[in-house]
Amino acid sequence: MPRFSIPLVALIGLLVLLGGCAGNREAQPSGEEPRTASGFVCPAPQPRLEVTSRELNLFVWTEYIPNEMLECFQRVYNVRINRDEYSANEEMYAKLLAGGANYDLVMPSDYFVPLMIRQGLLQKLDKSRLAVIPYFNPAYLNLPFDPNNEYTIPYQAGTDAIMVNTERIKEPITAFADLWRPEFARRMVSVDDSRTLIGIALLTLGYDINTRDPAQLEEAKAKLAQLIPNIKVFDSDSPKTALIGGDVDLGIIWTGEAALAKQENPAFEYIYPVEGPILWQDNWAIPANAPHLDAAYAWLNYILQPDLFWLTLRDFPYNNPHQAALEWARVNQPELYDSYMNSPITNIPPEVLARGHRVEDVGEATPLYDRIWTEVKGQ
Amino acid sequence: MNHRHSFWLYFTVILVYAFLYIPIFVLITYSFNSSRINVRFEGIVNLEPCGPFYWFCQLSRNREVINAVRNSLIIATLSTMGSTVIGTMAALALQRHDFPLKRFAEGSLYIPIIIPELVMGIGILVLFTTVFRGINTAFHLQGNARLGMGLGTVIVSHIAFSVPFVALVVRARLHGFDRAIEEAARDLGATEWITFWRVTLPNITPSVLAGALLAFTLSLDDFIITFFTTGPGATTLPIYIYGLLRRTITPEINALSTVWIGIVFVLLLVIQRVQQRD
Amino acid sequence: MSTIPSVPGGARRRGFLLMLPSLLWMVGLLIIPLGLVLVMSFGRRDPDGNVIYTFTLDNYLRLLGFSRSYPCGSTPPPCFDALYLSILWRSLVLGFQTTVLTVLIGYPLAYFIARAPASRRNSYLLLVLIPLWTNFVIRLYAWMIILRSQGVLNSVLGWLAGLLNLPFQPLELLYTPGAVLLGMVYEFLPFMILPIYTSLEKINPSLYEAAADLGANPWRTLWRVTLPLSMPGIVAGTILVFVPVMGTFIVSDILGGRQVILIGNLIQRQFLDARDPAFGSAASILLMVLTLAMTLYYTRRFGFGEEITSA
Repeated sequence: MPRFSIPLVALIGLLVLLGGCAGNREAQPSGEEPRTASGFVCPAPQPRLEVTSRELNLFVWTEYIPNEMLECFQRVYNVRINRDEYSANEEMYAKLLAGGANYDLVMPSDYFVPLMIRQGLLQKLDKSRLAVIPYFNPAYLNLPFDPNNEYTIPYQAGTDAIMVNTERIKEPITAFADLWRPEFARRMVSVDDSRTLIGIALLTLGYDINTRDPAQLEEAKAKLAQLIPNIKVFDSDSPKTALIGGDVDLGIIWTGEAALAKQENPAFEYIYPVEGPILWQDNWAIPANAPHLDAAYAWLNYILQPDLFWLTLRDFPYNNPHQAALEWARVNQPELYDSYMNSPITNIPPEVLARGHRVEDVGEATPLYDRIWTEVKGQ
Repeated sequence: MNHRHSFWLYFTVILVYAFLYIPIFVLITYSFNSSRINVRFEGIVNLEPCGPFYWFCQLSRNREVINAVRNSLIIATLSTMGSTVIGTMAALALQRHDFPLKRFAEGSLYIPIIIPELVMGIGILVLFTTVFRGINTAFHLQGNARLGMGLGTVIVSHIAFSVPFVALVVRARLHGFDRAIEEAARDLGATEWITFWRVTLPNITPSVLAGALLAFTLSLDDFIITFFTTGPGATTLPIYIYGLLRRTITPEINALSTVWIGIVFVLLLVIQRVQQRD
Repeated sequence: MSTIPSVPGGARRRGFLLMLPSLLWMVGLLIIPLGLVLVMSFGRRDPDGNVIYTFTLDNYLRLLGFSRSYPCGSTPPPCFDALYLSILWRSLVLGFQTTVLTVLIGYPLAYFIARAPASRRNSYLLLVLIPLWTNFVIRLYAWMIILRSQGVLNSVLGWLAGLLNLPFQPLELLYTPGAVLLGMVYEFLPFMILPIYTSLEKINPSLYEAAADLGANPWRTLWRVTLPLSMPGIVAGTILVFVPVMGTFIVSDILGGRQVILIGNLIQRQFLDARDPAFGSAASILLMVLTLAMTLYYTRRFGFGEEITSA
C-alpha cells in the first residue's frame, strides 16, 4: 500500500545508514600504528593478553576515563566497550545487588569495598594475570579496606575539600566550619553524597567521621540542617560546572573537579580545611559474575601501563597512586609532570594527608545515615 | 466559515506558541556556540574541520551517540511492530467478541495508562531481577551465558506500555465502524478471513497506523521505564542524554538536538503530505 | 450461503485467542510485577540493603507518619514523623499546580485550533506536536540554558536593564521549585492541549451561532456552552498530566538541583541510593493507589471520554 511506504522506506533507510555508520568500526589497515580519532598513537600492550570476548561491560564513575584509553583499547584488542555510568557508590551497589545487569568491571570507592565483599559481589583478583601491581606507590596499596589487595587495585585517589571563587569571596576561608556562615546562603554547590556531608558536619562538631553513636549523629543532623540553606545545587557529576558558570561562589567538591576548575579560572582556590579533608580512593574491581573475564584483565593490564595511564594526569588530575606513570611523565611530559607536582591539589602535602579522614563502612548504622540524609534533603 | 476572534485570543495563542518554541530555538542556536562549556553564547564557532558546523562533525564521530540512536530506533521499531499487532488483535477481541476473562483483560489493559510509569518500571525491574537471579542460579549459568538486562528486556517492556494505547486508538475506530459492509461482503460469498483482510483491515488501517505512530513516539521518547530495564550496550538516546547532562555539557548535545528536530520535522511533513493525498 | 455469523463457541474462542497475547503481556509485565512490588512492600531491609521477606506494615505506617522502628529526630520510636507525608503533599500540590496551569495555558490554544479553518488545523496541531517529538530530556536541558544565572533570560534582562540604565542583579531561576514547576508545565502542556482540542472539535459550530443569536456575549458562551461541552477533554487531559507529574523524578533532578524531593525522587532513591527496596515498594504502591483513586473518582464524576485516545 503506497500510503505508508514512504515513511517506512525512510525509516529503513535511516536504520541502514546508522547500522553502516557504527558498523565501520575502527578497521585499521594492518601494519600501521593504531591511532585514535584525535591522532593519539596507541602504545602497544605489554604484555599482550589472549582475548576472545568481543565486548567489555564497564560500570564506572561519570567523567573519569580519558577517551584515548577507551579508544585505544577498542582498537588494539578489537573489543567493543559498553560503558554505563553512575555518580554515587550507592547507585552502583544497588544495581549490582539487584543483579539485573552483568558488568565486567566496576570502580568502588574505598568504604564500599568491604560491604561488597561481604555481599559476595566481587571476585578475587588473579594476581598472576595482573602485571601492573609493581607500578603502584605502596602508600596506596594494602589499605585497611582491602588488605593484600585481594579484590581491588587502585585507580585514583583524592580528597573532598572546599573550593572558593576568590573573585567573588574575599574573606579567608580555612575550615569546614566557615561554610556555615549566613552570608553564603544559596551560594554553594556540594557533592550529592551523604557520607561526605554528614561527615563534614561530624568533623565540625569534633566527632569521628565514622561514628555509629546515634546521639552524635543526631547532633550532626541538626548541624547539617543548618548548612543546607547555603547549598544551591547538589551535583556529584560535574560540580565544577556550577562554579565556572557563576551559579555558585564556593563549593564542597573533590580533587579532580577542583583541578579542572582551576584550569578554567586560576582565581579558584582549593582549600584544605583545618579539620582535615576527607580522603578517598577509587579502585578497580571485578564483579562476581563478570561475563568477559579475559577482556577485563586485558583492560586492566593495558590502561595501567605507564605510557597510557599518564593520560589521567592530563584529563583528570587527581592524587595519582601510579608511581610508574608519574615517572614516565617526568621524562616524557615534563610540563604535565611539573604542573602536577607543583599544585597542592594534585600533589597533596604530607601534613594535609596526615590530618585527613578516610570514610569507612558503618555497618548497622547505615540506616541511620540514610535517614538523616533523607530528612535533611527533604525539608 | 470565517470569524474574528478577539485580539486577546490571538495574543495568547502567539504567546503560547512562543513558550513552546523558545527552548527549541535556544537549543538550535547554541549548537553553533563557540564556547565549549556552553554556558554563555559566545559567538559562532569556527574551528576545523567543519567551521560553523564543528559540533555537528564532532557529533558524527561520537560512536556512543550513534549507538544510542541506533538502539533507540531498533527498540522503537521492534516494539512498535509487536505492540501494533498485539494491540490491534486486542481491540478486535474487545470490541466484537465476548469471552471468558473479558472484564479482567479490559481492566488490565487500562491500568498502564492510569498508573505512573515509575511504578510500572520498578515492578518490571523487580520482576526481571528476580527471574534472572532464579534462572541463573538454577542452571548455574556463568559468564556470558547469564541472563541480564539488555535490548531484549527493553523491547519487551516497551511493548507492555504501548499495547494499551494502540488498543485504545483502534478500538475507538472500531466503535464507529459500520459492520454493514462486512455483512455485504459475506453476502457476496466472502469467508470470514477474506472479509477481514479485504474489507475490515483496509478500513481500520488509518487508526492502526495512528496507533503504530503513537507507539513509536512513546518508545522513542521513553525514559523512565527504559531507565529501569536497560543494561550494558542497550543505552537509548534519552538515557544517553541524561548521562551526558551529568558530565560537562558541550554544544555537541545541542547539535544532536538540532539534527533530531530536523529529522522529526521532515518526517512529520512527509507523513502529513502522505495523509493529504488520501 | 449462510449469513449467520459463526457458531457462538467459535466466536468466543476466537475472541479469547485474539486477546491472549495482550493478556499474557499485561499479566506478565504488569500484574505480576505489581504483585511482586506489593509483596516486597511488606518486607524489611537488612543492614546491607537486601530485602527480608516477612509481613509487616511498618513501611506503610512510616509513610503515613507512624514510625515504629526508626527514631523521629531525637524521639525514639514509636513516634510521629510527618516527613514522608510532607513529601507526598508537596508532590500532590505540584501535580495540582501543573494541571491547573496547563489547563489555563492550553485551553485558549486548543480553542483557537478547534475553531480554525479545517485546512489549517493540521498545521497548527503539527506545531504543537513537534516539541513533543524532540525528546523529553533535551527539552529540560534547553530550560537549563535559559534559566541559569548567566543564561539567556538573565542576559536579555541584563541587556534591557542596561538600556534603561537600571541596576541589575541576575535572577536566581534555576534550581528552584519554580523551575521545576515550569519544567513540568512545559513538558506536559501538549498532553493537555490535544484532548481538549479533540473534544472542542466535536462541538457543532452552529451552537456558537445559536448562542450568539440568543444574545450571549463571547464570555457567556464560553462559560455556559463551550466549557461544559469540553469537560471530557479536560478530564482526559488532567489524567494525562497529573499522573505522570506524580511519578516524574527527572524534572526535579535536572531543574531542581536535586533539592526538590518529590515522591518520584523518594521512590527512585530507595531503589538506588538508600538501599531500602521494601520501603520504596510501599511508597510505589501508595502512589499507585492514590493515582488510581483520583482517576476513578474523576472519571466517575465526569465520564471517561474518548478524548484520551487523541494523545
